Amino acid sequence: MTDFLQYVINGLAKGSVYSLLALGLVVIYRGTGHLNFAQGEMALFATFGTLWMYSQGLQLWAALIITALLSFLGGGVIEFGLMRPAGKKSPLAVVVVAIGLFQGLNALSGLVYKGSADGLHFPSLFPNGTNDFYRIGGTCKGSVCTGGVVWRYQDIGTLVTVLVLTALLFLLFQKTKVGLAMRMVANNPDSAKLVGVSTNRILMMSWGLSSAVGVVGGTVFAGITANINLFLMFQVFLLASAAATLGGLDSPGGAVIGGLSLGVVESLVENYPKHWWFGDYIGQSTAIAVAFVIILAVLLVKPSGLFGSSRVERV
Amino acid sequence: MTALLEVEGLVAGYGQVSVLQGLDLHVNEGEVAVILGANGAGKTTTMRAISGMIQRKGNVTFQGQSIVRTAPNDIVRLGIAQVPQGRGTFTDLSVADNLRAGAFTRKGDVDADIQEWYGVFPRLRERRDQKAGSLSGGEQQMLAIARALMSRPKLLLCDEPSLGLAPIITQELFQVLGRLNAERGLSILVVEQNANLAVQIAHSVFVLETGSIVASGTAAEIAADDAVRKAYLGY
Repeated sequence: MTDFLQYVINGLAKGSVYSLLALGLVVIYRGTGHLNFAQGEMALFATFGTLWMYSQGLQLWAALIITALLSFLGGGVIEFGLMRPAGKKSPLAVVVVAIGLFQGLNALSGLVYKGSADGLHFPSLFPNGTNDFYRIGGTCKGSVCTGGVVWRYQDIGTLVTVLVLTALLFLLFQKTKVGLAMRMVANNPDSAKLVGVSTNRILMMSWGLSSAVGVVGGTVFAGITANINLFLMFQVFLLASAAATLGGLDSPGGAVIGGLSLGVVESLVENYPKHWWFGDYIGQSTAIAVAFVIILAVLLVKPSGLFGSSRVERV
Repeated sequence: MTALLEVEGLVAGYGQVSVLQGLDLHVNEGEVAVILGANGAGKTTTMRAISGMIQRKGNVTFQGQSIVRTAPNDIVRLGIAQVPQGRGTFTDLSVADNLRAGAFTRKGDVDADIQEWYGVFPRLRERRDQKAGSLSGGEQQMLAIARALMSRPKLLLCDEPSLGLAPIITQELFQVLGRLNAERGLSILVVEQNANLAVQIAHSVFVLETGSIVASGTAAEIAADDAVRKAYLGY
């Protein structure tokens, strides 16, 4: 039981990162109907930026906030300068441009920030020393405790970050005028124009918002692995898009639940069999395969994802 | 009588194809104008050209100001609201959010307006938390009109409001449009195939055939025109 809880807690941390990237994907998908293939590399490039600012003597949190703001602008520029002109040609062009952006930003990360395959050390946003954790349960002899479930402050912080960002996005979508406009554009762009929404501006904001959420994901993840390299976001993006598909591509809440459950499943499948005879044959790749099989099964039953809206329409 | 909306030599279409070939029409302040036309005559194109949803050439003047180069979201701000064909409600949004969406261009509190239109369309109040997509066709049409009115327009464009509705609902709908005009002085431009009902509330009528106006006049004049009456009013 203790092991089980421990694996769940570890899984939640990684799942939080998937959730953050998945949230970014959902924000763009709602507005444009496109899956942004460059999401992971946009986050990578910006996360390198955070590291650079940190190396110039800024607090990590301050550096993150500044890069998030810059990413917001950068995302808007990408929409305006690349995606919109491409979208006018054909929807397929958008996919091609996004893949180009994926390649380009990865190469640029190497060029500008001297990012490499081996990677650079990355600091954590949260206290992450040897003693920075809660112990749930366990036994104590004097001041020395053992056993129980260890929940590291870093993992707690990551989870809280995801939950706070989700809550903020929810408030933005449901309670503000900009959020209402985003929902209008997602649902019916023509009608949105007819009630006075500048759909272009809303799309720029969606891209900006998505990029800003992405860099939070990147920074948190680099903190967890204590390393940033050029391949950091490959697998994360893959799993984040799977998480978004699982939760329903147009549902922010679904993206978070999808991401967290994917993280937990991955962690359980990776670690649990260690207790059993076939444990030697199971590793992280098996875990991911199992996660994808589960997603496949869910989508067979519910093609729009767990929380995605299958459209209700009466004529 | 001053013309609120003046359209001269309007040419518009989709891609290389022009549907409208130099169309002229006007809507006077405080009046209901009706465009009659068969399928494919260019009715919807006319509406979309006026509200700026498609590329157009020619003169479109609203309150003395040319709007032919104005973007649709700015045209709404000038005071033209369109109820698009097929209603165009935000199907995933609640009824209340649809109404709030209609007031997007306005600043400040809009709850009083929402309450006012709930008064005019009580069914919308009953269903205010339901998704618009789950409403019946007639209810959606009412919602689409109420949403357009939330922007407090000077001119309301209605694109075939009777489409897909039961005759009794259509009748109710035109009564509402007639009242909006009579009681509130709202200027309305309606495009319709259902000519009889539309002509009853119209001050002026334009007959549209293959992209240009072939006859126009007051409702009485048009009803007296044998050819038009036979073709569009069916008696």
